[in-house]
Amino acid sequence: MIDCKQLREVLDLYADGELSSEAIAQANQHIAECGACRRAVENLSRLREAIRDAVGRPKPSPELVERVRSLILPRWYQTWAAQGIAATLVLAGFLTFFAPGVRGSAATALDYFSIRLDTSPRQVVMEGTLLCRDQQLAKQYGYRPMCRITGHHGWLVTSDGRFWGLLEGSVSQELIHNSSLLGRRVKIEGRIFRKAGSIEVSSYEFL
Amino acid sequence: MMRLGWRSRSERFETEALPHLPALFRMARQWVGPEAADDLVQESFLRAWKYFDTFDKSTNCRAWLFRILRNVWITRWRKTRLELPLSESQEEPIEPYYDWEDEFLRGELSAEVQRAVSDLPAEYRMAILLADVEEFTYKEIAQIMDCPIGTVMSRLNRGRRMLGRLIRTQRREGQPEFEIAPSEQPFRRKL
Repeated sequence: MIDCKQLREVLDLYADGELSSEAIAQANQHIAECGACRRAVENLSRLREAIRDAVGRPKPSPELVERVRSLILPRWYQTWAAQGIAATLVLAGFLTFFAPGVRGSAATALDYFSIRLDTSPRQVVMEGTLLCRDQQLAKQYGYRPMCRITGHHGWLVTSDGRFWGLLEGSVSQELIHNSSLLGRRVKIEGRIFRKAGSIEVSSYEFL
Repeated sequence: MMRLGWRSRSERFETEALPHLPALFRMARQWVGPEAADDLVQESFLRAWKYFDTFDKSTNCRAWLFRILRNVWITRWRKTRLELPLSESQEEPIEPYYDWEDEFLRGELSAEVQRAVSDLPAEYRMAILLADVEEFTYKEIAQIMDCPIGTVMSRLNRGRRMLGRLIRTQRREGQPEFEIAPSEQPFRRKL
């Protein structure tokens, strides 16, 4: 059996339930027989209870709960601003790919952007066949053709199997947009941008 | 550590971590006060979400979150340097309780206890709140506070003794300096 000194030394462990079952039994036996130690145990228990009461059970505000919950939502979902940007991008994408005028302008802008990066233009005369760009890309890469919406878009295919984009311009208008010319062989004179894979047409004649 | 998909990760976080939000909030209020508690809790959950993949499912999520709460609190404290750290060059020996059988803990205590708890040094306050309010085991407290179990024991022992002394002092200061005899008590004169 333990004495008063031993019990007071393990009072915290006893109150916190950290003693072994054997030690608890010994402590209980002493407490049952010693009034002073019993009061010490009761007072420590009362203190612990008073601490719990003093702290209470404050509830977090609904705003805090919402803020924390929003952490586990995907980032793009979190703010109206981000949602606005996402909606604008979707709309822009839709217009680019489904509105013929916008799509054509976007493609032309990309063409001109690509030739600006190409520092290797030179004057050439090339022969080839006019074929539709979307149909060729669909055949070769499984690209979804937009011809039904935007109309055919003329490209030059040379005998080595390479495709050449025809840059939009007053001279090339017919070659690009007149679908009745598809399949015709043509000789084109102009500047070639090898890296961009484009030709700026200055004149042409059908063969 | 295996990375979870976003959906299963968020579902797990919602079922395992979010239910402990009130407990973390309660503790944060005691550590930093009601004004800063929201920010501390939010930052802790942000960090918990960020590192949730590293949480070992077989361990106690509540203890893991409290450890993060403490780390965030320490980071803030280091940034703001509002309070000096507790210097513990060596572990304090546990002192036996010899003065706990008197009546100083009788009656309504919560206001005095609240004041006394907030007057305790931070690490003692933390150990006491983790043990008495959150009822963590010593082992869990040691993990949360990143210290040996022996240090937890000495902090609880010293902290509770300090708390007892603070309450006793408050009670003494709140009482009149001398006792006035009740008027109905008969005056006895020696004949």
